[in-house]
Amino acid sequence: MIGADLVAHVARFGRALRERGVRAALSDEVDGVEALTLADLSDRAEVRRCLAIALKIRPRDAAAFDELFERFWAQADPSRKTARRSERRPKPNPGAPLRRFGGLPGAAAEADRERETRRGDTPGYSPEASLRRKAFEECSPAELSAMESIVERLALRLATRKSRRLVPTRGRGRMDLRRSFRDAVATDGEFLKLARRARAVEEPRLVVLCDTSGSMDPHTRFVLAFLLALKKAAPRTELFAFNTSLVRLTPWISAEKLRRTLERLSAAVPGWSGGTRIGESLAEFVALYRDAMLGPKTVVVIVSDGLDRSDTAALARAMRAIRSRARRVIWLNPLLGDPRYEPTARGMEAALPFIDVLAPAHNLESLERLLPLVAA
Amino acid sequence: MREEIRAMQESMEGCGYVAEPEIATAVFLAAEMKKPLLIEGDAGVGKTEVAKVLARLLGTELIRLQCYEGLDVQTALYEWDYPRQMLRVRMGEQEGRSPGEIESVIYSRAYLLERPLLKAITRRDGPPVLLVDEVDRADDGFEAFLLEVLSDFQVTIPELGTVRAEHVPFVVLTSNRTREIGDALRRRCLYLYIEHPSLEKEVRIIRSRVPGASERLAAEIGRFVQALRNRQLLKVPGVAETIDWAQALVRLHREHLDVETVQQTLGCILKDRNDLNDVRGAELAALVGEAAAMG
Repeated sequence: MIGADLVAHVARFGRALRERGVRAALSDEVDGVEALTLADLSDRAEVRRCLAIALKIRPRDAAAFDELFERFWAQADPSRKTARRSERRPKPNPGAPLRRFGGLPGAAAEADRERETRRGDTPGYSPEASLRRKAFEECSPAELSAMESIVERLALRLATRKSRRLVPTRGRGRMDLRRSFRDAVATDGEFLKLARRARAVEEPRLVVLCDTSGSMDPHTRFVLAFLLALKKAAPRTELFAFNTSLVRLTPWISAEKLRRTLERLSAAVPGWSGGTRIGESLAEFVALYRDAMLGPKTVVVIVSDGLDRSDTAALARAMRAIRSRARRVIWLNPLLGDPRYEPTARGMEAALPFIDVLAPAHNLESLERLLPLVAA
Repeated sequence: MREEIRAMQESMEGCGYVAEPEIATAVFLAAEMKKPLLIEGDAGVGKTEVAKVLARLLGTELIRLQCYEGLDVQTALYEWDYPRQMLRVRMGEQEGRSPGEIESVIYSRAYLLERPLLKAITRRDGPPVLLVDEVDRADDGFEAFLLEVLSDFQVTIPELGTVRAEHVPFVVLTSNRTREIGDALRRRCLYLYIEHPSLEKEVRIIRSRVPGASERLAAEIGRFVQALRNRQLLKVPGVAETIDWAQALVRLHREHLDVETVQQTLGCILKDRNDLNDVRGAELAALVGEAAAMG
């Protein structure tokens, strides 16, 4: 690289990295330039090392970095200077998926193919047309109220969490010497009252991703009732439904009667009871909502049977991304309660390493058993 | 390669740390640019060791802050010495001092307990090495606080005023990536990812850290551990485990690997029951045979 061009080179390199989805900020580029002034610019390996260190290239971005570095090094080579202008900006990666909500033309056909291969061998799987509306039967009132009280307790448990951080409290707790002592100074060194601290209660953000595909049909209604209770206990809960694509349900949820909400939901979700593309759906979630919704206080709940024969590598990638950002990942699998089911579905297997809690969710009992598992 | 980087590499090696060019370059840049160095990588690849070697190299003090969930400012930065303050107040009363007088005495540096961060800032004889270990374990609130300290190298104590760094310390942060470090903190730092070592490097590490190990033993240990890392293990052994194992084998006066010895000492490198059972099965003999044969 040529000394005078250093700043321009690093800036272009940074922009190329960003086009490939690598997060490199202006301040990183400043670091990059400074690091290169300290490097032996004739040593290609050293320039590469210095740039990687200063631009904070993580292992997952290493391949993109190396590839771009090769290209830029070749361009910056004085002997090939003429080539630089023409091909200086790398094209944005054409393979990068830019997916939107709703049916992609190819997606429906793929879902059909997928259904062909799994017809008849899946518990609860329905081979009917994917775009259809479902009427939901109603539970008996007794069942419903029993369910609601358990579901509310569970939701509350999921929605609150004791932090290890200590905050001042009026009630019981560990003595806060610092504050007690300061208060005592004001009263001539007499301790009239002791200040205390207790563990803070945090409200984590819940993000629920619910599978509404055909194989989940027998469970969907029950699970959605659970989700509505969750939303009531933790108003900041975000709900998503997915089958072949992802739909954000949060705006559709209200405190209205379960039945009406469910009807509206089934109208809002295309492909309700259709096939599943878990990997693609979760990847879509990661691409669109990761920065806004995932953080150290987020608990991600995925409700799915993991019956998915599409790309399990995509599923593993998406799960890894979710796991790296969220505080906890809970996977509720209604089929775990089915004696015919073995948790060896390929989708489930791919997701397993990134799950903190895997639990059944097919009836009240299973949800009750979940309570101690999710205790903060 | 720049002369200074090569020199850094050599002197790190002199301290018993076999450093690839990446590691030496990162340490050199961090020192020159006066920026914290964030090191990520699997457990046991030698992240913490970089800070220790650096302190030895610079002949300075290593100040370590171990992070954990719930780590608060009092534990990381400073705390007042309450019992002594209380005694001083009582004495002051008996001597008939005014409250104002007493206060100015008890809120002075003499009654301040310095925790690692403050200690690193106030050290007088030269900059220390500050190691913020496993920063991913602290909560994000603490991360924000750390960011503030690492940006300004000054700390405000309400009762005392602002304390500025005497010398800007050399800061090393490590993370096992149990949680993603925030972008803001990452940007403040230079970044180094340490991979598991290559066979050649691992053998050199064994030779340098366990001088009692013969060349043959070191090579066999290296090949065996490298083969283990290629398997699907729950807990992949790091260099730290390799060194432990080599030391154990030297204690047992072994000159080379045999199935029985490996069987007995496998707990030095595999620390999960499932992994142990997996490897102890039929394949152990084959793994040992391979490691021994290639020499």
